[in-house]
Amino acid sequence: MNELKGLARAAQIYLDPQQRARELKAEGKKIAGYLCCYPPVEIMTALGYVPIRILGDMNEPITEADAYLPTVMCAFYRSILDVAMKGRYDFLDAFIGAHACDGAERVSYIWRSYLKSPCSFYLDVPHSNHAAAIDFFKVQLNYLKDELEKTSGCNFSQEALREAVKLYNKQRSLVRSLYKLNRQDPPLVSGSEMLQVMVSIMCIPAEEGNSLLEEVIEEVSNRSAGPGQKKGRILIWGSLIDNIAMTKLIEDCGLNIVIDDTAIGTRSFWVDVDETSDPFEGLAVRYLDKIVCPRTFRDTKGTRSEDLDNRFKYLKIMAKEWNVNGVYFNIIRNCDIHGYEIPEVRDYFEDIGIPVLVIEQDYSTTALEPLRTRFQAFAENIG
Amino acid sequence: MEQKKKKTSSAKTLQTAREAGNFGKRILASARLAAEEGKPVAWSMVDWWLGGTIAKAIGIELCYPENYGAFCAAVRKAEPFLDYAENDGVPNTTCGYARNGIGYTRRLKENNFIIPEDAPGGGMPKPLFLLGCGAVCDARYKWFQSMGRYMDVPVWTLEFPQTGVAEFFMPGYKEENIKFMVRELRSFVEFLEKLTGRKMDWDNLSERLDTTFKTHELAHKVDLLRKSVPSPAVNTDFWAIMIPHLYLPDDKEALAFYQRVYEEVKYKVDNKIGAIPNEKYRMAFAELPPWHTLGIFDEFAAKHGIAFAIESWNYHAPSPLPESEREGVNDPLELIARYSFHKFNEYTPTAQLNCMDPTIFTAPYLKWVEDYRIDGLFCHPLLSCRPATYTLMHLRNLLMEKCKVPSVVVEGDIVDLRVFNEEEAHVKIEAFIETMDHYREIRKKEGFEW
Repeated sequence: MNELKGLARAAQIYLDPQQRARELKAEGKKIAGYLCCYPPVEIMTALGYVPIRILGDMNEPITEADAYLPTVMCAFYRSILDVAMKGRYDFLDAFIGAHACDGAERVSYIWRSYLKSPCSFYLDVPHSNHAAAIDFFKVQLNYLKDELEKTSGCNFSQEALREAVKLYNKQRSLVRSLYKLNRQDPPLVSGSEMLQVMVSIMCIPAEEGNSLLEEVIEEVSNRSAGPGQKKGRILIWGSLIDNIAMTKLIEDCGLNIVIDDTAIGTRSFWVDVDETSDPFEGLAVRYLDKIVCPRTFRDTKGTRSEDLDNRFKYLKIMAKEWNVNGVYFNIIRNCDIHGYEIPEVRDYFEDIGIPVLVIEQDYSTTALEPLRTRFQAFAENIG
Repeated sequence: MEQKKKKTSSAKTLQTAREAGNFGKRILASARLAAEEGKPVAWSMVDWWLGGTIAKAIGIELCYPENYGAFCAAVRKAEPFLDYAENDGVPNTTCGYARNGIGYTRRLKENNFIIPEDAPGGGMPKPLFLLGCGAVCDARYKWFQSMGRYMDVPVWTLEFPQTGVAEFFMPGYKEENIKFMVRELRSFVEFLEKLTGRKMDWDNLSERLDTTFKTHELAHKVDLLRKSVPSPAVNTDFWAIMIPHLYLPDDKEALAFYQRVYEEVKYKVDNKIGAIPNEKYRMAFAELPPWHTLGIFDEFAAKHGIAFAIESWNYHAPSPLPESEREGVNDPLELIARYSFHKFNEYTPTAQLNCMDPTIFTAPYLKWVEDYRIDGLFCHPLLSCRPATYTLMHLRNLLMEKCKVPSVVVEGDIVDLRVFNEEEAHVKIEAFIETMDHYREIRKKEGFEW
């Protein structure tokens, strides 16, 4: 029995995110690894799989992936394939790739060509939230269910899926509660602690994740000393961060990370699945429409200003509610979906008087140190 | 002595290829004329005949920023646009076509939407809307969405499902994809009718489709003729003649043009006339070309006898839609959906046979190396186009493992001349000749037919 609790437990899981899954595998559980935040974890859970988010590793030099992927592609997805080729995910019973972006799509394909698992599915995620796209995505989710069912060893039931929806909605609610603790000044949770918790709950069963979140919320609500007040309160927008070397660097430079809009952060947890009579309906709407990521195109609305509000108003609300005075755009080099969005999101924030720092980084801990002076200057600027 | 200025464009070996550039100029001129006459003009991505044909059938003139990017690169006038896009915060790692288009649009806006006098090729007029497409890459819709920043016009994104190989063969999967595409095309028609206040001319659409199929059938027949040894046409010919079948296949002039291309290539095949004088090696090229330096392929031909027999899968017309897919289909939107889906998935059985993903950009080459008797693959990883680059290393591995065909990698870019090193390309090709000789022997020993 693990005696660590709360933040200490999260820090332990974070250090070896796949360890719990390997333990469960040894106990006879089936493990499903998935890319990005688009494959519904509820379906995997309802069929008895333990879903885990597939991560890269900023500490691991990319050596194996060079033979399969060119250097001009997203370093995060190159890293994912690299660690996978080195065997880090060789315990997976199911691999769920996804057409989340070009990087995720092509790595899904190449992964399947070289790394075989008993079950493998490529989830085509449409580009828009059109009504036809949501219906098509619903069909895709049914195919995913069928494919997982073949190897799960159990029969699918609508009831189990409904239970899984409730379980993950509870998790989302807990995550939102945790982030709300950072509305106050100083915030109660550091960006690095938050990241450790987010990585942890994506790599352990949902019930364990929910217990962990409850422990963390209780612990930080009662803590006397959190990260302390720094020069600026920032929101991080853009490509994901899955290594605390990045968040620690930012915090060391005098910035409180109080909120984020990234895929290993609020983007994966911010909205619930509606409990619809056909659970696939609620899942399709939640995953394709309600998750707000630049990869999903939304039809142009009215004037330019109305269109920008339609796409980015949630960011304005976040910035206001978390009392943010600066925004850091974290762009992993070659991340197109965020890259094209930079000028528009930058101007959107600057129009409401919030300064922006844009950095393209190489998803490598060895390449972080040169960024220090830029974060320091930004902290001085907004402090 | 005055040094002779080096030619950067290709001379091309087909007479028809030398004439094909007129189609590109015509697209731009027609768009400008339509704009002057107050007719609707839109900017469109290459969408593999999904939406462009529909838009034209309702009376909208189209021009293509992607093609405009290639044109600006070919005349070596893209760099100022690239700089101008980057200057506004667009990363220099994004698509070269996109940055060219964004830089151009930014200049257009600053010139009150009057085309700048120095715009290459006469420039593109302000559109009524932007038509993005979900096929192949994220840039195809994200780029157009970001151009909306400079023009208060709507953007429409055409959905294009992308399937995995195993999923393609799941029961009912293909028909679900087609159903989705048809619904999306219907929504697009509604969007057009609302925006223009016009009604769709369904007869016109059917007629355009009919012409498209005929044009493409000829284009495909030309591809089949190119299997001949010696190769009757090469990559630089194809990159010229592709303009009408990619952008204007529904145009009667394009159909007549392809008839002439077919006749010219057929004559060369019948009379065993090679595109290059002394063909020694047959290479394939993947995937997108260095538009700014096409002349280098003429140099490879002259120096080493290299004929690029096949290239750029994504630009080729597919084989004709099988009769079984056309039978009983009366809705032109369904026919369009089936045809475009066919383009992207016709090599899926090859992918399945080789136990690999994806079909796109990869599986066609596994078939081509045998069909076209290829000695080596020229891989051109692009610093600014990831989707055409992502699978190149994978493709190299597959060709070596399955067919003992080696490859050479020369990095560069479609538009950005600044990242292409011509000398390095020559050095690498020089060294690659021996490798091709070596693997010819290996293939022979292992019983391959070429």
